Amino acid sequence: MTNKARAGRIAAHGVMIALSFLAIFPVYWMIQTSFRAENEIFSGGWFPTAPTLKNYADVLAAMPMLRILGNTAVMAGATTLAQVATGLLAAWALVRWRFPGGALARSLIALSWLVPFQVVMIPNYVLASKLGLLDTVAGLVIPNAAAAFSVLVLYNAMRGFPREVVEAARMDGAGDFRILAEVVLPNLRAPLASVSILCFISAWNEYFWPLLLIRRMENSVVQIGLQFFMTQEGNDWGPLMAAATLASLPILALYLVLQRQVVDSFMKSGIR
Amino acid sequence: MTDATITGAHVAPRSVPRLRLAAAEPWLYLAPALLVVAVWTYVPLLQAFELSFYQWNMLPRSTPRFVGLDNYRNLLSLPDMRQAVVNTVLYTVGLLPLSVGIPLAVALLTGGLSGRLRNLYRALIFVPMIVAPIVAAILWRWLLNEDHGLVNAWLAGLGLGKIGFLSDPDVALWTLVWITGWKLIGFSTLLFAAADSAISPSYVEAARMDGASPWQIVRDIRLPLMSPTILLITMMTILFGAQWSFVYINALTGGGPLRSTTNVYHVMWEYGFKTMAAGWSTAAGMLVFVVFGLIAIGCLALMKRFAVYDE
Repeated sequence: MTNKARAGRIAAHGVMIALSFLAIFPVYWMIQTSFRAENEIFSGGWFPTAPTLKNYADVLAAMPMLRILGNTAVMAGATTLAQVATGLLAAWALVRWRFPGGALARSLIALSWLVPFQVVMIPNYVLASKLGLLDTVAGLVIPNAAAAFSVLVLYNAMRGFPREVVEAARMDGAGDFRILAEVVLPNLRAPLASVSILCFISAWNEYFWPLLLIRRMENSVVQIGLQFFMTQEGNDWGPLMAAATLASLPILALYLVLQRQVVDSFMKSGIR
Repeated sequence: MTDATITGAHVAPRSVPRLRLAAAEPWLYLAPALLVVAVWTYVPLLQAFELSFYQWNMLPRSTPRFVGLDNYRNLLSLPDMRQAVVNTVLYTVGLLPLSVGIPLAVALLTGGLSGRLRNLYRALIFVPMIVAPIVAAILWRWLLNEDHGLVNAWLAGLGLGKIGFLSDPDVALWTLVWITGWKLIGFSTLLFAAADSAISPSYVEAARMDGASPWQIVRDIRLPLMSPTILLITMMTILFGAQWSFVYINALTGGGPLRSTTNVYHVMWEYGFKTMAAGWSTAAGMLVFVVFGLIAIGCLALMKRFAVYDE
């Protein structure tokens, strides 16, 4: 019996080690290739024998990578702020008041993620070009300024908020906006963190809308920058891996610091 | 109920204008979010529906021409579309073992693990989920490269021939399925593990006392109580699997070789922004939207019927 249990534990560790290897090895292989000298790219081995930064220098010379990373940070940061703000306001309206049309408004927001982007891309593109949003960072942010996910998560978090506290604040003569900002908001740290993390990472990794909107390398965000770079330098593996590593670095750093919160916020969102 | 007490409507409004203001207040808070989903999702959905009856090349100077149901008729008779539909099914079916089958088996097998190593495994297997899709595309393109890639080098080491992972029409679609699935395996394992560890240990203990074998416990207790999560992830894969693979199709194969990797979403993209046929693209979009909408309704009904919940 104990032997059987031990065999089970060893099998479980074996499976987890295999899965971990499968998850992490491709990323490791990208990073180690990015440090290899040109004549060493195609030779085997687990480590580069003479690590070099030349590939990184090549990337920085070939494309305005720092500017692109800056664009992406601004885009992801602004999208996150906007989604949190619109999410907070909408969730507060739905929790604070009961009013005709409230349930309808909630379902309209909640169901919006069922519409595939490819179905609405042409009208969206036409509208963005009419508004002069092509090739701009603002154009990347505005259509994503509200998201079903942030409204719903904050809605659920606010519903659990003790109403005695809200009532007490009202007795003290606080207006609805002040109650939201000064009483409710400071108690929403965990859900706010999880909404912000998920939103920042999805905005950073967003591909399709920038693909439609962005025309020039200097206005692009990293995902599209990488795509341009891949089309131009197709099989220049060293620099290509260096560019991909640079593009992933901020998110991997975030994960290193906030590992548990990142995993939790993705688990809460379900699979999307 | 609970909301009613937070609601402050019991303060009698002094005058009619004040009442109007009070009625408008929630809408002021809702306005930003509603405006964004209306302007960028629902109005475009209606516009796409309208456009699907027109012929238009999307140039600002040209005017759309009404063609009735022609776009739909043409789409349904094109071999292009048939191939894309078949491939969409293949993507979805191919993804299920990676997003549901393997993760479920792993979660069931490793449920007993605990301690520091378990946390390390969790941290590592989640990583692909936060890797940007285009980065995933680039690194797998390198690993699976036909001439210099590591995987083909390993295959050669085993005495096997080279595989054209992205250039062989019989293989390319499955390569893209694999890359899409690689991002999901670990995450889905974590979701199943969470569902499994939420099962009350007393059920398992009671069954063991009654002499149930580990397999009987899996079949009669753990699987049924995990069914809401299993059904949810299955539904998500069916509804979104083909959308998730779009990035890899566009970045790695462009739908080729010989159109073997295209799917309905990629076809819509090609009609819209390569051949500039807005009518065809939106007509395909409407068909896809309706079909997936019906599938979503069906899935939700199935979930209600078959999911087992602990009181």
